[in-house]
Amino acid sequence: MTFEVIRTHRLGKVFPLFQSPADRLKEIVLRSPRSKPFWALRDVNLQIAKGEGVGVLGRNGSGKSTLLQLICGITRPSIGELWVDGRVAPVMALGGSFDPESTGRTNAVIAGVILGLKRHEVLERLDSIVEFAGLGDFLDQPVKKYSAGMRARLAFAVCAHVDADILVVDEALAVGDGAFQKQCLDWLGRFCQTGTLLFVSHSLDDVLHLCRKAVWLDRGRVREIGDPYKVGANFSKAMELEPDDPSRFQA
Amino acid sequence: MHRLHIVNGKAMVASRRSIVARLLGFFSTPIYNAWKHRDLIVAILCRELHERFKGSIAGWVWAVLAPLLSLVTYTVVFQGAMHLPDNTTASTSFDYALFIFGGIISFNFFSEMAYRAPTLLHEYSHFIKNTIFPCDMIPLISTLRATVYALIGLSLMISAQLLLTGRLPWTVLLLPFWALALVLFLVGVTWFISALGAFTRDVSYLMVSIAPLLMFATPIFFSRESLPEPAQTLIYANLITAYVEIVRDLVVNGTIPSFGLCCWTGLVTAASFWGGYWFFDKNRYRVVDLL
Repeated sequence: MTFEVIRTHRLGKVFPLFQSPADRLKEIVLRSPRSKPFWALRDVNLQIAKGEGVGVLGRNGSGKSTLLQLICGITRPSIGELWVDGRVAPVMALGGSFDPESTGRTNAVIAGVILGLKRHEVLERLDSIVEFAGLGDFLDQPVKKYSAGMRARLAFAVCAHVDADILVVDEALAVGDGAFQKQCLDWLGRFCQTGTLLFVSHSLDDVLHLCRKAVWLDRGRVREIGDPYKVGANFSKAMELEPDDPSRFQA
Repeated sequence: MHRLHIVNGKAMVASRRSIVARLLGFFSTPIYNAWKHRDLIVAILCRELHERFKGSIAGWVWAVLAPLLSLVTYTVVFQGAMHLPDNTTASTSFDYALFIFGGIISFNFFSEMAYRAPTLLHEYSHFIKNTIFPCDMIPLISTLRATVYALIGLSLMISAQLLLTGRLPWTVLLLPFWALALVLFLVGVTWFISALGAFTRDVSYLMVSIAPLLMFATPIFFSRESLPEPAQTLIYANLITAYVEIVRDLVVNGTIPSFGLCCWTGLVTAASFWGGYWFFDKNRYRVVDLL
C-alpha cells in the first residue's frame, strides 16, 4: 500500500496585480476590484507517495517555485486543498538566506535550527556537515568571503543533515562544480530510498537519474504527468518547437 | 508528525473546538510559538548581538558609553535644579537628572522599535521567502535585541541612583514586572507596525514624522502632574506615559505606582501583545506574497 505524503486537489494560487500601490488601498477601502488576477498555479492535482522522487519541469514563470513554496508552507494557496505530511526541508535559493557578515558556523547553526533541529543537535552534527561541504578552515570565516559554490555546498550540507521526510530542491545544484553535483546527486539518490523528493531542475539528466515521476507545469497548469522519460521527451520537444511566448506573464 | 492541511487558503484544525478552547488557543498561541522556536530565537539573537559592534575596536563599550554620556549630560545640565517638575523639593541635586533619564530609557526603547518595525520584514525577506522561517518570531527577536540595550541603560540608572544619592529604594525589586510589561507591549506594537509596514512604505515615513513629536507628548522633561487637568488624564492616551511613570515611581521616587496605573498598564500591555499578534497572524501570508 502506498502512503501519500503530499496530495493536492485543484490547487490554485492567485496574485493580484495592481497598477499602483494606491490601488491596493482603494480596493481594500472601496471593496471594488482594481487588480488583475494573475494565476501562478491553477487546478493542480498531485498525489505523491512516500519515498517517491518527483521531478518538476517547466519554463521560467510556469509556477514551479510557487508550487514548492506552497508545499513548504511558506505561502498559502488561494484555492483548493493541500495535504502535507512530514517534516519538509526546502533547499531553495541555496545560501540565499545566509548572512554575509556571519561565519559559516553561525549560519549553519541558524539554517539547521530553522529547518527544525535543536541547537545542540546542529552543533553535534557540525563536524559531519563540514566534512560533507568540504569547507575545512573556512568554517570560521564570514560567509561574504565564500564563493557562490562554497555557499551552496554549506547550504546543501546543512539540508542533508536535518532528517527531513520531504526534501524540496529548487535549482540548487546549478552553482556547484561537477564533483559536488555528483556528491549531491548520490546523496539524493540514497535519500530517495526512504524519503520523498521534489526536484526542480533544468537538467533533464538529473531529473531522469533521480525521479520516478515527472510533472510538467505550463502557465500554472499541469500539462503532463507521469513517466519522466516520456514527459521529459515531450517537454524538450515543446521547448524547441513552441516559441517563447511573452504573453504568458500577462494577467 | 508535522501535518499541513489547507482548504481554500485556510488551515484546517483537527476537530471542531468549543469557544473556550478557541479562546485558550488564541491567548496561548504567541507564547507557545515563542517557546517552540526558542532555539531559533536564541541563535539569531546571539548572532545579532555578536555582530552589532563587530569591526569596531571598542565593541560593546559603545553600548554602555552612549547612555552613560547622556546620563552625564543631564546630570551636569540639570544639577542644582532644586525643584522637581511636580513642585516637590528635590532631596538631592541629582534627582531631576535621574527623573529625565528614566523617561528617556523607556521612550528610546519605544522609538527604536517604532523606527525599525516598518522595514523589519523587508530586512528579513530572504529568510521569509526562501526558508520555512516562522516570520512571527522576527518582531519578537528584534524587540529582545533592543531590550538588551534598554537593560544596559536601566542598570546605569540604578547604579547612578546608588552612587549619586547614596540610597536605593526597595521598590527597584519590582522592576522586572515593569520590564516584562514594557517588552510585551513593544512586541505587540512591533507585530502590528511591521505587518502594516510590509504593505506600504508609507508607514516608515509616518513613524519618522511622528516619533520625535511623540517625545514631547510624553512626560519626559516635565511631570504629568504639572499639566492642567484635562491634559493630565489625556496624556495617558499616549500609551508610553504609563511605563514612564512607573519606572520613575520605582527607581527615583521609591513608591509603588497607584493601583489604577497598574491596572491601566496591564490592560494596555495585554491589548497590545495579543492584539498585535492577532493582526500579524491574520496578515502573515498576505505579507509573504507582498515582500
